[in-house]
Amino acid sequence: MIRDFSIVLENIDRLLVGLMNTVLLSATGLLLSLLIGVVFAAALMSHNRFVVRLTRVLVDTMRCIPFLLLAYLVYYALPSLGLNFNNWTSGLVAIVIYNAGYMAEILRGVWAQLPRESIDAGSAFGFYGRNLYLRIILPQVVLAAIPMIGNQSIQVIKDTAFLMIIAVPELTHAASSIQSKYYVPFAAFISAVALYWAMCSVIEAGVRRVERIAEVRR
Amino acid sequence: MTDAADAEGDGLPTLRVLGLTKTFGDNIVLDGVSLSVSKGKTVCVLGPSGSGKSTLLRCVNWLERPDQGAIFLGSTRVGFRNAGGGIPMSSRELARVRARMGMVFQHFNLWPHLTVLENIIEAPMHVLRRPREKAVHTAETLLKRVGLIEKRNDFPSRLSGGQKQRVGIARALAMEPEVLLFDEPTSALDPETVGEVIAVMRTLSAEGRTMLVVTHEMQFARETADEIVFIDRGRIVEKSAPQVFFARPQTERARQFLQRYSVR
Amino acid sequence: MTSADLISLLQGAGVTVALSLAGIVIGVPLGLGLAILLWRRIPLAQLIVKTYVSLIRATPLVTLGLLIYFALPAVGLQTGPVTAAILTLAINTTAFNCEIWRAGLTDFPKDQIESAQAFGMSWPHTFRRIMLPQVARTCLPALVNEMTLLLKGSPAIAVVGIVDVTRAAVRIGANTYEPLPPFLLATALYAAIVFVFVRAQRWLERSSRCDEV
Repeated sequence: MIRDFSIVLENIDRLLVGLMNTVLLSATGLLLSLLIGVVFAAALMSHNRFVVRLTRVLVDTMRCIPFLLLAYLVYYALPSLGLNFNNWTSGLVAIVIYNAGYMAEILRGVWAQLPRESIDAGSAFGFYGRNLYLRIILPQVVLAAIPMIGNQSIQVIKDTAFLMIIAVPELTHAASSIQSKYYVPFAAFISAVALYWAMCSVIEAGVRRVERIAEVRR
Repeated sequence: MTDAADAEGDGLPTLRVLGLTKTFGDNIVLDGVSLSVSKGKTVCVLGPSGSGKSTLLRCVNWLERPDQGAIFLGSTRVGFRNAGGGIPMSSRELARVRARMGMVFQHFNLWPHLTVLENIIEAPMHVLRRPREKAVHTAETLLKRVGLIEKRNDFPSRLSGGQKQRVGIARALAMEPEVLLFDEPTSALDPETVGEVIAVMRTLSAEGRTMLVVTHEMQFARETADEIVFIDRGRIVEKSAPQVFFARPQTERARQFLQRYSVR
Repeated sequence: MTSADLISLLQGAGVTVALSLAGIVIGVPLGLGLAILLWRRIPLAQLIVKTYVSLIRATPLVTLGLLIYFALPAVGLQTGPVTAAILTLAINTTAFNCEIWRAGLTDFPKDQIESAQAFGMSWPHTFRRIMLPQVARTCLPALVNEMTLLLKGSPAIAVVGIVDVTRAAVRIGANTYEPLPPFLLATALYAAIVFVFVRAQRWLERSSRCDEV
C-alpha cells in the first residue's frame, strides 16, 4: 500500500494538472452560470407574465436533465445542428446551462424574501429601474445568497467528474489514468477523493468567512 | 442649510393634496382628503390607528397610487406629466420628483448592506449625481448635527432604534429636499429613545423646514406644529391651529380622540 | 431508431430505476440510523459519522464508483458491476440523507419530548410514536429532493460497466449516427421518473395528513 502511494506521489504532477483543470472548469462555469442566473432571476421577478412563464419553463427544464446527459447532448447531438464543440467546451457549456437554472432559483428565492423596506426607501429616494436593481437590490441579494451559491459550487466541482467520461482531463480522469497505468486503484482514487475534499473545505471556509461579513450587513 | 426654494417661487404652497381618495378592495382608506403645506411650515397629521394617515403619506410620493385626487409639489403634479393629469409620468420623471421630497420611515428603512455614512451619501451620489467629496462633506456635517458622527463607519445592524432613525433623518436631509415627510417616525422606538429623535425634529421645524409629519406624539404636535390635521376613518374631521385643536376641539370625534391620548 | 433500440432504452430505464431504488431503500433508513447516532451524541460515532459524511459529500459519484469498483478487489472483495453500482449509490445517498434527518431531528421541538417524558414514556417509545412520524413528514420534501438528485447522478454508474438509460442512449446514437432522438427520449424518461417521484411525495403528504387531528 505504501508503495502504491509513493507511485501516486511520483505522478503527482499529473494529478495536480487534473486538479487545476477541475478548478478552472468549475470556476469559469460557476461565474458564467451566475451571470446568466442573475438575468434569469430578474426575468422571473418581472411584471410581464409572458416573460415570467417563459423563463420558468426554461429554468425548470434546465434542472430536470441529468448533467451527464446534458453534456452528451451538447457534445454528440449539437454537431447534427451545426454546433461543433470539443469535449472541454461541451463540458463548460453543459455546466453553464445546468447551473444557470439553479442559480436563478437561488437568487429569485432570496430576492422574494428581501424585506420590502429597503426597496421602498430606494424608490422613495429616487432610485428606479437598473439603478435600483444594481445599487439597492442586487448587493443585498448576493450577500444573502452566498451560502447557497457556495453549496452550488460544491455541486459544480462534483459534476465536473462526469466529464471524464467524455475524456476531459480533469481530476478523476487523471486519477483513473494513473490507476490504469500502474495498477494502484486504491491509492490513486483515495488521493483524488482527498483533493476533492480539500476543494470543498476551502469553499466551506470561504462561505463561513463571507457569512461573517454578511451577518453585520443584514 | 435651507430647503431648496419652492420650484417656481410663485407663492404656491410647497405641497398640495387635493381630494385624495384611495380604496383597498372594499375598504375606503382615504376619502377626499385635502391639505396643503406652505414653505417653512410644519403640518402634523393626527388620528386613531387605521385612519389612513400612513397611506396618505405614501400617496404623496407615489409609493401608493391614489384612485382619485391630485398631489402637487410646487407646480409639478406628482405622478402625471401635466397639471391636468392624463399622461402618467415615466419612471425617470417620477424618480426625479421623489428626489425632491425627503422621507423618514417608521421602520427607518436604512440600507443594511451600507455603513451609516454610505447610507447618507448613496442617494445624493447615485440619484443626484453629486461628486463624492461633496456628498461625504454634507453627510458628515449632518451626522454631527444629529450627534452620530462617531458611528459613520458602523452598519445599521449595530445601532439602536433611535440612532437608526436619526441616521434616517440625516439621509433625508442630505437630498436637500423641498419638503420632509415623516411617517410615524417614533412609533417603532423604545420610549427612552423617542426623545432624541423628537429633539432633532424640533430643531428642523424651528429652522424653517417644510415638514409634513404623521405622528402620535401629541406634545410634539402641540408645541411644534403650525397646523393640525385630524383624520378619522379616511376623512379630515378637523383642521386648525394647535392652540385651537388641543384646547377647544370643535368636533365630538376630536374630543374623544384627545381624551384617549390625553396630553401630559 | 428501431423498436429494438426503443426496447434497449426502456431496459436501460429499468436498470436506472432498479439500481436507484436499491440505493434509496438502503440509504434512507441507514441515513436515519446515522443521524440518530449523531443526535444522541454517541461519542466515537460522532467522529466517524461526521468524517464519513464530510468525505462523501465532497466526493463525486463517478470517483466513488471507480474507487469501489477497482479498489475493493484489490483488498480481496470481489465486486461485480451491479454490486459496485448499488454500493456507490447507497454510500453516497446515505451521507446526504444523514444530513437531512439530522436537521429534522435537531429542529424537533423539545417541549414535545419533555411532555412525553413527563408522562413516563421510554425513549424508544417516544421516538417511534411521537418524533418519527412528525420528523418524517418534515423531512419528506428534502428526502424526495435527494432521491431525484440521486437519480440525476445515476449515470455515473456507467463507469463501473452498467448500461443504464444514458449509456443505452449513447450506444444507440453511436450506432445510428443520429444521437438526438435517443438522447431526447432518455431525457423524457428521466423526467417521467422524476415526475413519478414527486407525485408519490404529494400522495404521501396527503395521506399522512388524514392522520392529523
